[in-house]
Amino acid sequence: MTILSTKNLTKSYGKKTALANINMEIPRGRIIGLLGPNGSGKSTFIKLAAGLLVPTAGEITIDGDAPGVDTKAKVSYLSERTYLNDWMRVSEIIAFFEDFYTDFNRIKAENMLKDLNINPDDRLKTMSKGTKEKVQLILVMSRQAQLYLLDEPIGGVDPAARDYILNTIITNYKEEASVIISTHLIADIEQILDDIIFINQGELVLSSSVDEIRETRNQSVDGLFREVFKC
Amino acid sequence: MKWYIDSDRPIYKQLVEQIELRIISGVYAPGDKLESVREMAMDAGVNPNTMQKALAELERMELVFAQRTSGRFITEDLKVIEEAKKNLAVQEIGAFLEKMKKLGMGRNEILVLMEKIEEGEKDDDHIKH
Amino acid sequence: MLGKLIKHETRATSRIFLPLYGALLILTIFTKLVMAIGAPDFFSEAASNNNNVAEIILGISFTLYFVLIVGICVMTLMMIIQRFYKNLFTDEGYLMFSLPVKTWELVLSKLLVGMIWSAVCTVMIFLTFFIFSLGTFSMIELSQTIRSAYSMFYLQTGMELNFFMVEMILFILVETVASILMIYVSIAIGQLFNQHRIVAAFGAYIVITIVMQIIMSIAMAVFAIGNLESMVLNGSEAMTTIQWLINGSTALNVVLGIGFYYVTHTIMKKRLNLE
Repeated sequence: MTILSTKNLTKSYGKKTALANINMEIPRGRIIGLLGPNGSGKSTFIKLAAGLLVPTAGEITIDGDAPGVDTKAKVSYLSERTYLNDWMRVSEIIAFFEDFYTDFNRIKAENMLKDLNINPDDRLKTMSKGTKEKVQLILVMSRQAQLYLLDEPIGGVDPAARDYILNTIITNYKEEASVIISTHLIADIEQILDDIIFINQGELVLSSSVDEIRETRNQSVDGLFREVFKC
Repeated sequence: MKWYIDSDRPIYKQLVEQIELRIISGVYAPGDKLESVREMAMDAGVNPNTMQKALAELERMELVFAQRTSGRFITEDLKVIEEAKKNLAVQEIGAFLEKMKKLGMGRNEILVLMEKIEEGEKDDDHIKH
Repeated sequence: MLGKLIKHETRATSRIFLPLYGALLILTIFTKLVMAIGAPDFFSEAASNNNNVAEIILGISFTLYFVLIVGICVMTLMMIIQRFYKNLFTDEGYLMFSLPVKTWELVLSKLLVGMIWSAVCTVMIFLTFFIFSLGTFSMIELSQTIRSAYSMFYLQTGMELNFFMVEMILFILVETVASILMIYVSIAIGQLFNQHRIVAAFGAYIVITIVMQIIMSIAMAVFAIGNLESMVLNGSEAMTTIQWLINGSTALNVVLGIGFYYVTHTIMKKRLNLE
């Protein structure tokens, strides 16, 4: 069953086209890498799916509905920005998430905080950027959502935390939920992906399974990416 | 035990090979229960669907069998394991001979060298003891 | 969900305002005590019984009081701007707009909490006046004064004071809502720009103000100019004119408010442009 589907999805900012005629179907139970160079339209795509942007043309649906209140309840979105209020304590933000998302699992969040040595009583403003990103990821992954949209989840964290994050994504895997991870750090996440979607300059370049690429082209996704997007 | 995933070949195939090797070498004993797909995937740091695919392939090879309720087990059929071991040995020797050929080594040369190395290892053992 | 938004909005703002109002109350009570003990005649012309030290302390505390009141008023306005701009259109907006809430709920929660704090500000200022003046009047006298004011008003205008007060309160409420929504619409227009969003928001605010001035003058010209002379005539006719002005402004503000709200909502829904 499809969780996300787009039909001629197009988004432009003024004269600049960020995404052009994207058609795709994303089934449930997959971990998908949304890959492309900087400025290729990855973030725009994710924001459209999260309901932060409205398409210029075409359509995008999540579980059959256009983005709105219903889909936002099913989608767990990690933005590339640190969006948490600085003055809040981690425990207050957890209460905030618990209040607004019925699928939020507090125990899961608290366990992950413990694993990563983050004190729930700490205020966000005393934390490093990397720690803030970890807190955000914990919040996002503690939901029992149907679609996870992770925009650059491993960009700013250290390798140990990165491994923990990838492990979390694997452990969290559910057959009815899909995870879309946008990144340009492909080698780091290749092993946990089912499928990849390459986009460049707003257009869909390639969509395939990781093993298919390795089988037919005898090279890793990372290798293929370097070849396709060679400067 | 560590898992090694190299870059270019399909990940599920690499998983199949490594689990097969573990069965042959006795890391997983016949009749042993395997961990859940999720746990194995986490351990290897791979996608659960990929691990699932690898285990399905091992089932097809009859090295692993699934019981509907209680999970997956290593085969108890020693003949299957023995067969796999032989196949793997044949493959490895084939690859080895291929390499030797590239180095320009003849059959006799290889045999002599192998014996010499083996004796050398024995000598080392004597010295150590 | 609106209730939850209001709850969190209140929590986010009260951490700033509660300490401020606490300080204001303490300062007021302190000032009143000093006044009662050391300088009972501080406000009267004949300042003979006053203690010098008490007068100095009172001088300082009244200055502080004044600064605090002005500070709180400015903070209230700043809060209305900042909670809407920062919480919705900067990085924090990424969280707010991915919550499963309707856009109107976001706007309304900010508006209501902004209104509540504006009301609290007014009430608190009156409360401090009341505390200062405790003991300088008797409740009986006060109620007599009020009663006579009612009858005087009726005599002069032929109209119930209560009715007029309701109109005034309605006018103030609508005026406040419209002016907050005008700030919101300016911010929403400002965020359409990719750079210098705050400057653009100020620009939008100024343009809207100018346009409104023009509309107001035209409205005045059309409705009120004929009645202007009657203002100076007798009481009841002057009252009719004033009512005309007040209710006309209320109606105009309702229309403007709806317009501001509609534009704000549409921009947030269709043209959201987070940095």
